[in-house]
Amino acid sequence: MPLSSKPRTRARAIPLAFVATATATALLLTGCTGGSTAPSASGTPTAGGTLTYASGDGEPTCLDPHVGGNYPQALLGGQFLESLVSRDSSGEIIPWLASSWEVTDDGLSYTFTLRDGVSFTDGTPLDAEAVKANVAHVQDPDTGSSTGYLALQKVANVEALDATTVRFDLSAPDSALLESLSQPWVAIESPAGLERGIEANCEGPIGTGPFTVSEWIKQDRVILTRNDAYVSPPADAGHEGAAYLDEIVWRFIPDSASRYAALQAGEVDVIDNAQPDTIVAATEQSGLAELDAPRPGSVNRLELNSDKAPFDDERVREAFIRAADVNDGIQSLFFGTAQRSYSPLSSVETTAYSDESLFGTDLDEANSLLDAAGWTQRDSEGYRTKDGQRLSLQFPVSTNQSIPAEQSLFEQIQATVKDAGFEVVLQPLDLSSWYGALGANEYDVVSAPYTKVGPDVLRILYDSSGITPAPSGYFANHAQVNRPELDAILSQASATSDADERADLYKQAQKIVLEGYYILPLYDQQNHFLYRDRVQGLRAMPTVSTPTFYDVSLSE
Amino acid sequence: MTSPSASDLRPTAPRAGAVGRLGRPLLIGVGGGVFVLWAVATLTFVLVRLIPGDPAQAVLGGPGSQASAEALAAARAEYGLDQPILVQYLMQLGRIATLDFGTSYSLRTEVAPLLLSQLGGTLLLAVLALALAWVVALALALASTRGGRVGASLGSALEVVAAGLPQFWLATVLILVFSLGLGWFPPISVPGPIGLVLPVVTLALPLAGFLGQTIRESLLDALEAPFVLSARARGEGERGIRLRHAIRHAAVPGVALSGWAFGYLISGAVVVETIFARPGLGRTLLNAVTVRDVPVVIGVVMITALAYIVVTVVSDAATRLLDPRSAA
Repeated sequence: MPLSSKPRTRARAIPLAFVATATATALLLTGCTGGSTAPSASGTPTAGGTLTYASGDGEPTCLDPHVGGNYPQALLGGQFLESLVSRDSSGEIIPWLASSWEVTDDGLSYTFTLRDGVSFTDGTPLDAEAVKANVAHVQDPDTGSSTGYLALQKVANVEALDATTVRFDLSAPDSALLESLSQPWVAIESPAGLERGIEANCEGPIGTGPFTVSEWIKQDRVILTRNDAYVSPPADAGHEGAAYLDEIVWRFIPDSASRYAALQAGEVDVIDNAQPDTIVAATEQSGLAELDAPRPGSVNRLELNSDKAPFDDERVREAFIRAADVNDGIQSLFFGTAQRSYSPLSSVETTAYSDESLFGTDLDEANSLLDAAGWTQRDSEGYRTKDGQRLSLQFPVSTNQSIPAEQSLFEQIQATVKDAGFEVVLQPLDLSSWYGALGANEYDVVSAPYTKVGPDVLRILYDSSGITPAPSGYFANHAQVNRPELDAILSQASATSDADERADLYKQAQKIVLEGYYILPLYDQQNHFLYRDRVQGLRAMPTVSTPTFYDVSLSE
Repeated sequence: MTSPSASDLRPTAPRAGAVGRLGRPLLIGVGGGVFVLWAVATLTFVLVRLIPGDPAQAVLGGPGSQASAEALAAARAEYGLDQPILVQYLMQLGRIATLDFGTSYSLRTEVAPLLLSQLGGTLLLAVLALALAWVVALALALASTRGGRVGASLGSALEVVAAGLPQFWLATVLILVFSLGLGWFPPISVPGPIGLVLPVVTLALPLAGFLGQTIRESLLDALEAPFVLSARARGEGERGIRLRHAIRHAAVPGVALSGWAFGYLISGAVVVETIFARPGLGRTLLNAVTVRDVPVVIGVVMITALAYIVVTVVSDAATRLLDPRSAA
């Protein structure tokens, strides 16, 4: 069944495979010999050294993740800013800047006790007033926060009880509050830094983290320097005190092949956004290692717009899912670097619920479902029709958000569902046009992954309130799931303070989404890092899967 | 020439000096330049706006950020995106006329200082590449015209191949051979001249092909021209003839082509700066187009158009100085 024969994998494994020069390829192959080696765990980490990180994500336009709030900001911000709480690899919320917290029985009030003796790198002490100022900053419309704003939506008031005690009063119970607060988009910054104004703060936010921003050369690099006075690692960190590295040079290298070439040549130590062919090539090369850190929240999935024909008919949605051959495509395009998912939630979420039985490929079943739904005629090109209308699906694809392998997978899905008589019109669009198509409801299929810590992402993605486009045209319930019983379950899950009950409610919610054939899950949001094996102690934060360099040291 | 042309029959004006000879064309050049700049600004504005979508999303962080309706409305008001399109256009033109390119949607900084900070890197790249292209093209032309028919066809073949090399491909091959294979140069830009080598070569080689073709053709023409014959008759050496007479003649079409070449280099900078991770105008333009950052796109296009016009006017003037015939 897997179509990816060995020779093909080898051919694709060559980085920069589009180069058709024999000499160049030969040179490369000689450079690629040798088995893969895992980084060996050495004894005591040595302090010092400069690590160079190359990001393929866009350069942030502002280093303060309160402003806007996207993944590139989280990647960088996580090195110099810290949150009130974090999450460990088992999904438990653990102390960070807050050493403990209490929740009232009605779930409407959270009281945090802050860690003692922590200061921002400008000398301002971390106290209750600072936390209050940060919430106010995120909630201030002038800040232009989007992600952090949503995370704090139910926080109505913040009260500084004494220097180290701060109380959050909510407008409604929010079982996801701690998960939301663990995200880098609501990290705590120096109030003195915030007072400098957005423009100055964007250039170099001041936090409590293991590194500080010392210079930002636009379109080129950000220089991060060790904070020698660092005292506040999260509870699951590998050591205490200051970080080992002297400095991190954070570069922006948009081209995937250049990024990998720079890693191979030793110009950089860590790269992100490693593409499937590169990952396979790297595993065949000595001296390189991989960190696979799927993002939390939703998986990458196709959302089927149930608001309008033809996908307002559940039979047609099921027929599409039955006709689409996803597994072979993932095998041949991702070379085993991506695992197929059968859940709405990322595999890092302990509350994720999977049901593989719903997604078996079955062309006969697809055909009879479409016959039953009245799509009985075929036109001259082989597409099904009903009342003279072709069974045609608009599929806007954001070229900023879908990697080349994923765009190829969409083409394979397009080809396989054609056998059942579906026409899929793939429309590669830049981000603004893509948002435009979504806002105008001009789509039948769309892929829009959503990163958030915890299962509360289900409420954002599948509650009927997410259908109403904001005046901007932006909304998150792209499948346009409109099920009152689902809304009720999601509200209950938000309100409950019992962890088991909450997990059960989210399982019910996921069952409804899966069994209603609203989505076709593909795989976790891919987040692969490659690094030279002189980099020791690298791990991804179990919150939003950004790498942390606090425990990292360089061996020579 | 067997019959006198019309201009020869007019009463001859007193022979003007070099400045006078250049003055009027320069004036026409500047006037035409302003018109071109206006047309470029208008076209860019219309083209960027024809694509459906919402630039306010770009203001609020782009991919992965989930903007609230309030934040979007605020962003629209702040950047004048809620104004009628004609008002936005006139505002844009007015700002350009006063050399104020406005504020970037995505970078939240003034466009003019931003572009100025990026201009240097791209200009350096373009000037070095142009210089290297000229050196390679001249060397190739001189060498191949010396080797008779075989040399000429070999030179011509090399130039055609070089001119046809796609930059992204060339860049990749150079990285594979000289960075990963031989380890001589870094695959990405680093401080210092060593980081410039591969980007400059990537830009210069195809250009050298174009220039070489033109220069060699006219060099061959020049070597058979009467003035070379008379120089030979005066007993000048082959070397002197080539360097003193023929090259000057042969360089004319090449200099005229340098205006075009500069535009080619600026567009090539988009590819080269992206692959080699160099900061510069090309990369700024690519980022800006991706997030539909209209002020930055217009700013880069205007600067490029301006540079293109300046170089064209200068190369026209240089052509006139090199070749008095074209001043008529």
